[in-house]
Amino acid sequence: MTARKPMLDALVSMLTGRDVLVSCLGANARYLPHLEVPAPVFALCDAMGAAIPLALGMALARPDRHVVVLEGDGSLLMSPNVLATVAAAAPPNLTMLLWVNRRYESSGGQPLPAVTVDWAGLARAAGIRHVASVADVPALRAAVPRARAAAAPALIVVEIAFDPAEAIPPYSERPEEIRTRFRL
Amino acid sequence: MTGAQQIVAGLEAAGVSIAASVPDTWIGRLMEAVRRSPRIRAVDAAREEEAVAVACGANLAGGRGAVLIQNAGLLNCGGVLAGLVELYRIPCFLVVSLRGDHRDPVYYHAPKGRVTEETLRAWRLPYARADHRGDLAVQVRQGVEFCAETRGPFVLLISGEDLA
Repeated sequence: MTARKPMLDALVSMLTGRDVLVSCLGANARYLPHLEVPAPVFALCDAMGAAIPLALGMALARPDRHVVVLEGDGSLLMSPNVLATVAAAAPPNLTMLLWVNRRYESSGGQPLPAVTVDWAGLARAAGIRHVASVADVPALRAAVPRARAAAAPALIVVEIAFDPAEAIPPYSERPEEIRTRFRL
Repeated sequence: MTGAQQIVAGLEAAGVSIAASVPDTWIGRLMEAVRRSPRIRAVDAAREEEAVAVACGANLAGGRGAVLIQNAGLLNCGGVLAGLVELYRIPCFLVVSLRGDHRDPVYYHAPKGRVTEETLRAWRLPYARADHRGDLAVQVRQGVEFCAETRGPFVLLISGEDLA
């Protein structure tokens, strides 16, 4: 299993200025201000479960842009219903990446409920037809273009290693700054 | 024009193009009118928190979204209203069916009716009760514009009689 940062770096390197990037709270949101992201970024620092529906609203409002959203397994476990909402709305321009490390990393690395969730199966059962699972950078690099080309909402389950010693930077931007800079 | 049609006309006049909803009996009737609008896309959400986030996403992307839910769903939304709408200062207009007040004939809604307006005040959410004796389209349009001007939420409470 690969560490988070190389996976996040690889994803960012595949974005363009025509994309939009939305992130749930946590490590990805904290790394993003330190990366050269070519797309507008809207990163949450609270509101668990809001990232995917927020991205859905953006995708529906701007069909000319491709919206990529990063969600965590802890957040989605709290609100898996959103998968059905996305499937019903069926935006062709939404790619969801679910980062799975089985931890509430943002609050100290507490474990999720001790069960192995079949995220790909859950997504398919909710009506998401384009689902992939990846656990290393080459697989991610292959999955993202396929998701973009699906012309339907797609989910990529990204398995990453949990490293309690990972030096994740703190939040460095305030919500007002994030919103003000976010322009499509 | 029915009250539901007036509300939809107000949404259209305000430039709302996305209406995210979880229905109850009253909101379901309103959404029937929304679905007849050629200018508004109805988004059926599984939970009310999603509807709030969908509308926020539309607003952040340069469009205009609105939320149509029951007060039970509004009571679910404390976290997303605080952690998204308030924290990031995002316009968010909500039409909420006020179940359980003296006008509601269904007994089991009463506990929600007793706490809805107090909750709105505690959460510091600007709100108004719709008045079907006036022009509902104007009340809706003013609510949407209030959200845009204040970069925040506004809740318009409706009752079944407002839709007739």
